[in-house]
Amino acid sequence: MNCRECAEHLYEYLDRELTPDLEREIRQHLTECPPCGEHFDFEKLFLDFLRARCRAQGAPPELKHRILRELFDE
Amino acid sequence: MPTPTTPPSPPVPTPAPLSPADEAEKRTSFEREALVHLDSLYRVALRLTGNAAEADDLVQETMLKAYRAWEQYQKGTNAKGWLLTILRHAFINEYRRRTRHPETVDLDAIEPFSVFEELQDEDPQGTFFDRIVDDEVLRAIDQLPEQFRETVVLSDVEGLSYEEIARVLDVPVGTVKSRLFRARRLLQQQLYDYAVGMGYIKGSSTG
Ligand SMILES: [Zn+2]
Repeated sequence: MNCRECAEHLYEYLDRELTPDLEREIRQHLTECPPCGEHFDFEKLFLDFLRARCRAQGAPPELKHRILRELFDE
Repeated sequence: MPTPTTPPSPPVPTPAPLSPADEAEKRTSFEREALVHLDSLYRVALRLTGNAAEADDLVQETMLKAYRAWEQYQKGTNAKGWLLTILRHAFINEYRRRTRHPETVDLDAIEPFSVFEELQDEDPQGTFFDRIVDDEVLRAIDQLPEQFRETVVLSDVEGLSYEEIARVLDVPVGTVKSRLFRARRLLQQQLYDYAVGMGYIKGSSTG
């Protein structure tokens, strides 16, 4: 595994979409190669940040009432 | 991984009326397996329509269609994916024409911009992200071309797997991967430009 191959699997790795074998190879490379490790850490931070910023919003309570009324005549 | 049942396509024939006991059971299972995903449906609807009132209507219509077709859904499989597929079809058929227009995107024309490369020296830990508020991130997502926006919302906001996203969007997994890659890079660029504009980071070039 070289740095270029490692970078090609960046998001698949962070999204947990790789086979266990490939995932292990990448993890190995990341521990041995500080620049790649730093890069992956940065991207992971970015994805965590995205999730945290977007999940706060939920459906308004009134919408749920509207749907229940519509479905079950409540 | 459980396979979701095919979402309802053309109008479902009106089923024979259920007995009160069956009706009660249908309601219980629908509440337990479908209504629990209301927040997810709403978040996706909001990003697709870009408008709270239309998001409300789209979600309500989705739940109505889902309830009518509930017999077709295989209990215990991926309800969230099934509901999102219904929602997306409803959006494409009825809302998109009125709200946003689908853009066609030349994938190759998008230069992958890596914020990490820009910031390796100045902020390799990405601390500037902490200063960017929710609204700014949502605004950046809303500015993505529709194909990228829906992919990134299903992945990064709703946590669907590549396979699940591929099913909802009806595209190959490879397409999901390349859209996700470009969508995330576009988002990074937008947020980076914003952070430079706000003076959170100096930035090393014009981008
Ligand atoms: Zn490396």
